[in-house]
Amino acid sequence: MAADDRGIVIAPAGVPGSVEETGPVTHAMETVDMSVSYGSFRAVKNVSLQFRDHQITALIGPSGCGKSTVLRAFNRMNDLIPTSRVEGRVLFHGADIYEESVDPVEVRRRVGMVFQKPNPFPKSIYDNVAWGAKVNGYKGNMDDLVEQSLRQAALWDEVDDKLDQSGLSLSGGQQQRLCIARTIAVKPEIILMDEPTSALDPIATLRIEELIQELKQRYTIIIVTHNMQQAARASDFTAFLNMDQDRAGRVIEFEATAELFTRPAKKETEDYITGRFG
Amino acid sequence: MTAPRRHFHEELRTIEQQLVLMAGMAERAVGRAVDALVRNDIALAAEVVADDQLIDEKYLLIHEKWLETMALQTPVAIDLRLMSSVLHLLVTLERMGDQATNIAKIVKSIEGHAREPVILEHLREMGDLVQPMVRTAMEAFVQRDFALALRVPEMDEPVNRLNRSMTNDVARCAPDQEVLEWAVPMLMVSRALERVGDQAVDIAEQVAFLLTGEFQEFTRPDTESYDH
Ligand SMILES: Nc1ncnc2c1ncn2[C@@H]1O[C@H](COP(=O)(O)OP(=O)(O)OP(=O)(O)O)[C@@H](O)[C@H]1O
Ligand SMILES: [Mg+2]
Repeated sequence: MAADDRGIVIAPAGVPGSVEETGPVTHAMETVDMSVSYGSFRAVKNVSLQFRDHQITALIGPSGCGKSTVLRAFNRMNDLIPTSRVEGRVLFHGADIYEESVDPVEVRRRVGMVFQKPNPFPKSIYDNVAWGAKVNGYKGNMDDLVEQSLRQAALWDEVDDKLDQSGLSLSGGQQQRLCIARTIAVKPEIILMDEPTSALDPIATLRIEELIQELKQRYTIIIVTHNMQQAARASDFTAFLNMDQDRAGRVIEFEATAELFTRPAKKETEDYITGRFG
Repeated sequence: MTAPRRHFHEELRTIEQQLVLMAGMAERAVGRAVDALVRNDIALAAEVVADDQLIDEKYLLIHEKWLETMALQTPVAIDLRLMSSVLHLLVTLERMGDQATNIAKIVKSIEGHAREPVILEHLREMGDLVQPMVRTAMEAFVQRDFALALRVPEMDEPVNRLNRSMTNDVARCAPDQEVLEWAVPMLMVSRALERVGDQAVDIAEQVAFLLTGEFQEFTRPDTESYDH
């Protein structure tokens, strides 16, 4: 299913070949005609996407088309860039996260983010995971939370005997899983990932992709990736963004991943994913 | 900006060209096998059997290249569908070569028997019908021409009709035991040529898949009663 001229897209009805789900399809996150500008430059326009609960959606597109910009809008990270402005609506369980009354810190707790480069704090592995929960005034058993988060991030077995060592002593792939554990520890509902494996070797990359598959049991995941094979391997839905003449990015096509990579509806998508553009 | 996967797309074209060459070989093998039959040319029949090895070699060569491309280039979308069609065509063309070999072997096995001109004429006609079917299907493939692909099943109809009437043609030889001994294997020749027609339709179906992404079986009137 493709976007119309305004970039309006309705979420695909179902993943072909997947087991019919019971109950209605629900969306953790939805944008309605969202545009993001930096000063007078409109970086993305008319983005209307719906992200299904417990599904992995990949955002792909050429460099500069606005993937990171779109992702940052989902947890108000753009607020940290003074020139940035978001128009349209970004709905989290139906409520606009840009309403005056909404606390951006709370948004960022419930919509977590994992970055391109692993960025653990120069603290112990334990503290890296516990930190966010502490800040949020977590009342439960911290040891349990740390273990549970590290297990979910598929890192526990590698670090359970050295929790007091510095997070920086880990390998790149381990550091990225530590960052995922840190994100998980504050119990978000959505995890945003901006090229989470671009700094990792192929094996570490595959491990993260496996992990993402595990995580979707508990979280809704939106991942930006430059690696089209990664989008193909690791996601359920894929949104393809491209730039217009005015360099503003918009959604060209939003489809179940298997469909998009075998029978894209739009020539523009086909040219991009088969490497024929230009 | 130049297309980022230019080298890969050149590789795809090379594979496609090799496949077109292979199709030409298979089609010519069928034509020569029928010629050998009609002209009772045992030497030509032997050549067809020997040349099947060249088709098999081509098969292996293209298959090797195919595997390599799949492993290294991970094609998607139209490129993936092309690779899927290529593999399908590859198998189909190899089997078409086998049908030519079957016919040529029959020619050798019935050497010296008395022959029946009406049957020979019908088989020659079938040979003349199926060769253009293969060419048309391959042309539709190369030109990415959906309408042309749709013509192939139509071309198959007279082939099926001739194949069905072959039983009667053979039965008519019954009074003459010697001619009958020659005629019964002609049922197998007829069947082989009918298979070549079906294989051309298969190729045309692959063209439709390549272009639309949907597999559709073209209607094949009156072939349902035969098991393939
Ligand atoms: N902080 C900023 N200030 C001004 N312009 C920005 C800022 N961040 C991004 N942009 C511009 O917005 C557009 C989209 O950038 P963005 O980083 O979202 O693209 P991207 O698709 O993530 O690219 P890449 O694949 O290279 O990471 C670009 O033209 C970029 O120059
Ligand atoms: Mg980016």
